[in-house]
Amino acid sequence: MLTRVKSAVASFVGGIMAGSSDGEQPSGAELPHKFPYMRPAFLGLSPDEIECSADHIARPILILKETKRLPWATGYAEVINAGKSALNEDQACCEVIMVKKKPGAPSTPSKTPTAKRRSSLPNGEGLGLRESSESDGLLIHYWALFDGHAGSGAAVMASKLLQQHIIEQLQDVLDILRNLGSLPPTVLGEEPNHPGTPGTNRTLTRAASLRGAAGAPGSPSTPPPRFFTEKKIQHESLVIGALENAFKDMDSQIEREKAVYNISGGCTALVVAFILGKLYVANAGDSRAIIIRNGEIIPVSAEFTPESERQRLQFLGFMQPHLLGGEFTHLEFPRRVQRKEVGKKMLYRDFTMTGWAYKTIEDEDLRFPLIYGEGKKARVMATIGVTRGLGDHDLKVHDSNIYIKPFLSCCPEVRVYNLTQYEHGADDVLVMGTDGLWDVLSNEEVSESVTSFLANCDPDDLHRYTMAAQDLVMRARGVLRDRGWRITNDRLGSGDDISVYIIPLMNSLWTTPYFTSLHRA
Amino acid sequence: MAYAYLFKYIIIGDTGVGKSCLLLQFTDKRFQPVHDLTIGVEFGARMITIDGKQIKLQIWDTAGQESFRSITRSYYRGAAGALLVYDITRRDTFNHLTTWLEDARQHSNSNMVIMLIGNKSDLESRREVKKEEGEAFAREHGLIFMETSAKTASNVEEAFINTAKEIYEKIQEGVFDINNEANGIKIGPQHAATNSSLAGGQGGQQAGGGCC
Repeated sequence: MLTRVKSAVASFVGGIMAGSSDGEQPSGAELPHKFPYMRPAFLGLSPDEIECSADHIARPILILKETKRLPWATGYAEVINAGKSALNEDQACCEVIMVKKKPGAPSTPSKTPTAKRRSSLPNGEGLGLRESSESDGLLIHYWALFDGHAGSGAAVMASKLLQQHIIEQLQDVLDILRNLGSLPPTVLGEEPNHPGTPGTNRTLTRAASLRGAAGAPGSPSTPPPRFFTEKKIQHESLVIGALENAFKDMDSQIEREKAVYNISGGCTALVVAFILGKLYVANAGDSRAIIIRNGEIIPVSAEFTPESERQRLQFLGFMQPHLLGGEFTHLEFPRRVQRKEVGKKMLYRDFTMTGWAYKTIEDEDLRFPLIYGEGKKARVMATIGVTRGLGDHDLKVHDSNIYIKPFLSCCPEVRVYNLTQYEHGADDVLVMGTDGLWDVLSNEEVSESVTSFLANCDPDDLHRYTMAAQDLVMRARGVLRDRGWRITNDRLGSGDDISVYIIPLMNSLWTTPYFTSLHRA
Repeated sequence: MAYAYLFKYIIIGDTGVGKSCLLLQFTDKRFQPVHDLTIGVEFGARMITIDGKQIKLQIWDTAGQESFRSITRSYYRGAAGALLVYDITRRDTFNHLTTWLEDARQHSNSNMVIMLIGNKSDLESRREVKKEEGEAFAREHGLIFMETSAKTASNVEEAFINTAKEIYEKIQEGVFDINNEANGIKIGPQHAATNSSLAGGQGGQQAGGGCC
């Protein structure tokens, strides 16, 4: 992703930023690293193997070793870029996590003591026969991809710590998630609302009495009348909120710790988490996840780029013009405006528009457009080609004091896929990939490639998803010919870092119950 | 650890001839009788000494199965040495050498040193390919040849080290352009430090010979 941050600057910006030296950001390079550069922990690579993996000439495709397993027999493969940066700036993390209540935290809303320590019991007890108990943890399967730019620091740190923030967020609502029979209470410490049970006897809560529902005396079987409606918040929304806040916490931690550690650059983040029977796909950046079910493609994420977020960015530039530093205009023009065109009418659009109109060119319009370029070359302030992610707190427009971060969002879009609603076959998978994959292969090509590969594999071979991931990366990387890396039909292969997970959805059945005291992988 | 040179090797040959076992014997000095099929590429590394110089061997162990051939082929580039392995107890693995050699010659740099290895020499009773046949094939195609046993470790050190010696000699003769990493040779920090003046000036092919 490095080139997406730097390359455009010189050629596009011309006048206002010309004649500068190398635009390295002040990044605390003299500070110690919090985490050294590495490859995903689950690959279990030695330093020698990591050295081999960084071969830009042969570009080896790394896969899981035979002795390693990912949850659900997930396949993974990655390859380094063709030389645009010395290191592979993609990072990945995959874990099965048990979320337990914070030690010492009060039990809300139920008041049962948390004394029982089930984990000290021998693991012989029958799985699934037990009622979930207070001490049971919530089992989470976690897959994440991070695509770094302008350094690997933020990506490495996020790959180590984002799941911790998710755990902390979920811990706060653990007791509520445990109690799927009642909707989450609007105010903690009050009795939860019982959904869909009109006519049952309800105890009046203090909240209800405050709402003026304390009436209805003598008719306890009718629901209390309300003077205003109250939104019913589902458990699913609590999980979404937890993921959203975890991303924000991660971003804040990076910002905080930049004071004491060298944390270079920024990164996109794509997380898939299996929680209580549903897949939550949280995306901030331009990685992508799709589900392939019975050959059908179901997109489960959307990319955040200068083009897809143009209106949000333009609106921000319009509302807070000081963020543009007097150098940029929030308006978009089809090309740069020339001085001789002042006074003429030219095509433009602003944050209210998806179409185009003409306006009379003024002096201000000579400023460089906030969003400029098309497709993969589109940039925010001629600097960055992705508009959501973590880090980048120091990123400035080349040779200026204009910060990019205010325009970037660390908030993910979270989409939910209910795994229990469908019966999945062995070839139904979720494919997660960084932009290195999707830049050169369409959803259809990926689906076709994975489906046909899996069809030719032994359904009982646990390596089949790993081999499918390797095959997919090979198709996106291509083969080095005289004129660079080439794929099918002599199209250009991806010179970017490429990382791919292939998650078999059927194997989610391995994970039950969702609350347990047993550690399993 | 500092080294004067780094040589990249690739191990190729039919599935089941013992490529991964040769690597394990060389890097870890142990034999693992049951080994999972290699389905991609695996790496090993070890330091050796030639002519008083520390040389790091970086070894890529590839998948032999036909279905992974296009992936394996893409790893020839940038290798300074190749170990082409067959199994002396399986004639078909010997018969396939020509295909492997064509593949290697087509996809590697022309100076790559190729060592032909007849593995499983401990299984004399089940031998299907005579040692003379291996020698003849090597002679005909300009390869170095050895019979090895990854199980008993017989000739394993020699196979890796003799290949390195051949590469080292080619460097001395100026055959390899050591500044082009696509040749599978890297000058190490140790070497670069002692030759900083040379590297700064010519940076040419004589750098290797300069310090002898």
